[in-house]
Amino acid sequence: MSKVGRKVGYAERRANPLARFLNVLEGKAFAWVLLIPSLALVTLFIVYPLYRGLRLSLSELKLLKSPDAKFIGLENFRKLLADPEVGNAAINTLVYLGVGLITQIALGMAAALLLSRESKFIWAARIAVMLPFFMPPVVTAYMWRFMLDAQYGIITLLVAPLGIDIGGQGIWADPDKALYGVLFVELWRSYPFFTLFILAGIQGIPAELRESTAIDGASSFQHFRYVMLPLLKPVLFVSTILEAIKLINSPTLVLLMTEGGPGDSTMVVPLLAFKEAYQAFDFGYASAISVAVLIGISGFAMVYIRSVGFGKEK
Amino acid sequence: MAVTGKSRFAPSTVLINIGVAALIAFSILPLIWTAYTSVRPELEIIKFPAGLMFGDLGFDAYREVLRYTDFPLLLGNSVIVSLMTMVMSLTLGTFAGYALSRANFGGKQGILLFYMLVRVIPGVLLLIPIYILMQKLNLLDTKFGLALAYTTFTLPAAIWLMKGFFDALPVDLENAARIDGCSRMGAMWRIVLPLVRPGMAATGTLVAIEAWNDVLFALMITSTNEARTWPVGMKLLIGEFQLPWAQLTATAMMSVIPVLIAFGLAGRKMVAGLTAGGVKE
Repeated sequence: MSKVGRKVGYAERRANPLARFLNVLEGKAFAWVLLIPSLALVTLFIVYPLYRGLRLSLSELKLLKSPDAKFIGLENFRKLLADPEVGNAAINTLVYLGVGLITQIALGMAAALLLSRESKFIWAARIAVMLPFFMPPVVTAYMWRFMLDAQYGIITLLVAPLGIDIGGQGIWADPDKALYGVLFVELWRSYPFFTLFILAGIQGIPAELRESTAIDGASSFQHFRYVMLPLLKPVLFVSTILEAIKLINSPTLVLLMTEGGPGDSTMVVPLLAFKEAYQAFDFGYASAISVAVLIGISGFAMVYIRSVGFGKEK
Repeated sequence: MAVTGKSRFAPSTVLINIGVAALIAFSILPLIWTAYTSVRPELEIIKFPAGLMFGDLGFDAYREVLRYTDFPLLLGNSVIVSLMTMVMSLTLGTFAGYALSRANFGGKQGILLFYMLVRVIPGVLLLIPIYILMQKLNLLDTKFGLALAYTTFTLPAAIWLMKGFFDALPVDLENAARIDGCSRMGAMWRIVLPLVRPGMAATGTLVAIEAWNDVLFALMITSTNEARTWPVGMKLLIGEFQLPWAQLTATAMMSVIPVLIAFGLAGRKMVAGLTAGGVKE
């Protein structure tokens, strides 16, 4: 029955060009016809720019001087290694990465454990907790700047009676505090990312496991440490690497909250590259800094994958 | 040992409820305080920063922003750019996601990995070449150019999400349709797409929110009100005029409301889709 039906369709489709095209779709070409538009777009706007970016990092292109790029080999990278601004930004980026990851994983894990309990309205709580992750960074940045303002900030006023003084010159004008101020806001908006992943991981663990470890006399903490944590390892691995890439790559929050200041106390590497491009129009040097970021990320990923020993278990 | 079957980790229900309440407060109180500030008179914000007075609240700040700034125009630009991005990214992402979910061909794993790796590249590195490319294509400072850039950057996530939603549907559905004489295209269009509509809504919302929120590419690619989006406008407004707090928070509220509505409608499905890929592997 089915064969007959298909043969009639086949003969009909041979009749005109459109039908012939649709006929081609029945074979392997179908997948490629669906894939090619997106592959073409990504090639045009990501792969080709990546190639151009790599070339630019080896060139001198200062828009304020001349519109033409001149090949200068590794000159930009030599300049970069000797640049104290880059060194300072690299240290800030490492602090941003390290403190960011640790605080976000800790809070993200705690939130996931709290939200893993099943009850009727728990989904509403889950949605509320995820909200900061989807907020526009511009709103997040100015909202927190306002709430942590030295004079009018609600948080500044609320913590003052507790003996915590963030008034005076305020967080944003203090070179020792500004980076941690931004990190706090980064924690607020990014920890839900970990909660999201860990929560999904926890929901994949059969509830009966807790019953059996309870019979064996394991405490909640022991259950968490020796049963849940090992099972959550793959989820933690994936989410940590994704978040690390985001923390290293994106200058958005720092750009909006402090623009690298006061002084260069919150300058991170991608923001330095952005400023070289957007304010100094030194496209060659900006590209070289970005390439250094890419190399740094690849290095981090490799060291991380090795140290976790992922994929070697089997 | 009182362990209820329902909970996977439960030292004490009361403590957990307190913890959950604290988390919710941490997440939404800042937004509530911002909303409250936006309807207070400016003088009160400065005189009594922590005051809770509900006497003369009003929408003056909103009126001023809408009347005396270009902000409404920029919000309009953002709506257009976000919608264009959503349509393009969702269309291409659905097609590619379907192909990667259903077809079997050499290089499939390679393409999936490629879409993963694309996300590792620093945006700043691509910013300059894309600026030059847009200049050549005459797309600089246009809404379409901006939407094209956002489409490209949201596409990998859209493809992965849609692939996940397609994977969740049994292949038997299409096989049955094809035995009944449906073409591949017909089976996808008439049988599968209607079933995957909630997933498409979630993916589309996520993509639109990304486009709505971005500030980095908009700063670089736009230079006039022709294509400038609201985040750029807000950054400039604050930089140039030292905006009063009430107006600043009013601007923030106006731009965050579409996100809140979209998130409220599609949030549950979005959250489910985002984790599906990461957890399975």
